[in-house]
Amino acid sequence: MDDTRTPVIAAGGGRAARRVLRYVSRSITAMPRWLDPTAECRVLHRMAYLYGTAVVGLATLVSALVQGLWAPTNVTMLYLLAVLIVALQWGRGPAILAATLSVAAFDFFFVPPAFTFAVANTQYLVTFAALLSVGLVVSTLASRAREQAETARSREGYISALHALSAELATASDVDTILAQVSRHIAATSAQNVAIFLPKGNALEPALSTPGFPLGANERAVAEWVFRSGRPAGFGTDAVPASAALYLPLKTAQQIVGVLAVQPSAPTMPFSPEQARLLDAFASQAALAIERARLAEEARRGDIARETERLQAALLNSISHDLRTPLASITGALTSLADDAAPRDEWMRHELIQNAKEEADRLNHLVGNLLDMNRLEAGALRLRLEPGDVEDLIGAALAQLGDSVQHRAIRVRVEPNLPLVPIDFALVTQALVNVVDNAVKYSPTGAAIDISAARTGDEVQIRVEDRGPGIPPADLTRVFDKFYRTQHSGQDTGVGLGLAISHGIVQAHGGRIWAANRPEGGAMVAFALPLQRSPDEPAGRHTAE
Amino acid sequence: MTDTGLRVLVIDDERAIRRFLRAALTAQGYHVFEAETAQTGLDAATSVRPDLIILDLGLPDQDGVAVATRLREWSKVPILVLSVRGQDTDKIAALDAGADDYLTKPFSMGELLARMRVAMRHAAQLADEPVIATGELMVDVGRRIITMAGKEISLTPIEYTLLKTLAVHAGRVLTHGQLLREVWGPGYNQGGNLLRVNISKLRHKIESDPARPRYIITEPGVGYRFRILD
Repeated sequence: MDDTRTPVIAAGGGRAARRVLRYVSRSITAMPRWLDPTAECRVLHRMAYLYGTAVVGLATLVSALVQGLWAPTNVTMLYLLAVLIVALQWGRGPAILAATLSVAAFDFFFVPPAFTFAVANTQYLVTFAALLSVGLVVSTLASRAREQAETARSREGYISALHALSAELATASDVDTILAQVSRHIAATSAQNVAIFLPKGNALEPALSTPGFPLGANERAVAEWVFRSGRPAGFGTDAVPASAALYLPLKTAQQIVGVLAVQPSAPTMPFSPEQARLLDAFASQAALAIERARLAEEARRGDIARETERLQAALLNSISHDLRTPLASITGALTSLADDAAPRDEWMRHELIQNAKEEADRLNHLVGNLLDMNRLEAGALRLRLEPGDVEDLIGAALAQLGDSVQHRAIRVRVEPNLPLVPIDFALVTQALVNVVDNAVKYSPTGAAIDISAARTGDEVQIRVEDRGPGIPPADLTRVFDKFYRTQHSGQDTGVGLGLAISHGIVQAHGGRIWAANRPEGGAMVAFALPLQRSPDEPAGRHTAE
Repeated sequence: MTDTGLRVLVIDDERAIRRFLRAALTAQGYHVFEAETAQTGLDAATSVRPDLIILDLGLPDQDGVAVATRLREWSKVPILVLSVRGQDTDKIAALDAGADDYLTKPFSMGELLARMRVAMRHAAQLADEPVIATGELMVDVGRRIITMAGKEISLTPIEYTLLKTLAVHAGRVLTHGQLLREVWGPGYNQGGNLLRVNISKLRHKIESDPARPRYIITEPGVGYRFRILD
């Protein structure tokens, strides 16, 4: 910028002029292009002085044309007009030049003796002084008005840039989005390369960086220092000025959440005060947004953790109750059998043993369900898909239910010529066992249960219908939730895992399961298994025999 | 209970299981020997020369499938595998490696004794009876005749071979792989469809309610078992 100063100093001279000039040059560089003081601004700057000179030249020409007609004092008015125009159009520096040139031109061309700087009548010195001082005052006032307008414009740009960022940040909820938006806004306004460092564990890691940003050990060290000290560093600051980028701490009232690093587009040009202010504002906006996102995330995690804890406590309560009840019966039976002193007849002995056996079966069933649920939830379930015969499946499920369906009227209807279904036979048997078991539990002992299977389109549907009280309509989808039990079940029949397991198994097969109430009364639980596996199924699941 | 004179080797790392098996089997007249690990089990199998081995699949040093494989390298002693839920793959591997049958813990003593008897009978080559009869079903292997309540039933050659294979191994589980090899020959490892379809057809011919079969029992995920009705 020094090259542009030289002619002005020559023209205006003096320290005051230099101060004026610095002000002018700053306001010019901060003109419409305030965000990007590039070479274009300097050209504009130099041209302003040229234009100022040209306007004075024009005034001289007009004055020469009207010389005979106008009094010389009116000619000075023409020059004043010229200075005013220059001041309004190009600012103070060119206006000062124009005022000076005007005095010189007036003296040279119009004050006798003409075409010399000599002055015959010393009164003209007063005219010169008046012309010069009026010119200077006018130029000052005019350019100040102009500068104010420019400052307002530049502030508006600054505010709107900030506003645009904060508006976007207000809607961003996660840290990644925030980083992306901040980096985009900074890259668009003032810099080429941006990096944002966030603490990860004990180290400060670049969470985002534009491809050109140098991420060497030095850069990390500077970022680290800024993070620890909370002070800006790097390019254009007192700390590590040799660094290629400017590092700003992302600071909130509570903490430093990270470091923003900005590399200017021109490697030698420092950021203007406007840019620096904007970057500071960006940095604090970003810091607030990141902190907010972090807090929200923490709160969310806290909620989940609390919910999980609550569920686990409920589960543990329920499970320990369900485990203890059969254990109590078994222990009771065994201790009374072991007590030699107790009076005992054959009927009582049989009763005790039978009860203990049934309770042990129940315990086994419960543990099995817990194990299945655990496997389903851990994603540890590997399906061994093989063509399965649905009639065989129903038979296997009924065989597995054994005693509990022994005295039930169970009607099975399987559509003839049903195709084989690709299933993990053991798992789908378990799914069906749980559904039928449920129907048995929730319907009167004497009531029949219908199991039917039919093909519908490209799937096979298996339905289990009972004649119990049905499912409250509001709970039709909830019956597949873990630990769900119908309110009116009255009796204590399990932890409420059975249908949840069936749901998990059917889902793993790409099928669906649903519940409904029969119009005639009673509940219906059905599931559908696809005849063709969808091609997007993970290949690892096709582990055939 | 009379002394059967038969020796049973129990290879299981769970003390409670060994203790209960020792008590129950001794009461049934068996001589019970115990081993806690695969290695001591293999050693005991050579020194004790048991008539039957009860082998747990989850041993601390080696898995039970490997033990079954190593035993079968030199011995035809019947092996009963004890597994827990979720060990289907190991169970099938052990059966294919030559184990005779399996039981899933928890199991009843009645089941165990029945499986033991079946396994030992097969080992003693007593199963070569020409006629296997249970309930209303009679499989006459010598004359290739199947009757149901005295009435002859016509089966396709595949159905007949399938039923014969199951009946000859009555009481024992046969894996899908074993049945495919027995009935369709060694090349037919992937014929899952064939097996299911023929079992279904066979059931429709010999079972009164094919959805609740009495003779051909499905062992979910493992195979089939021909049941001798009590």
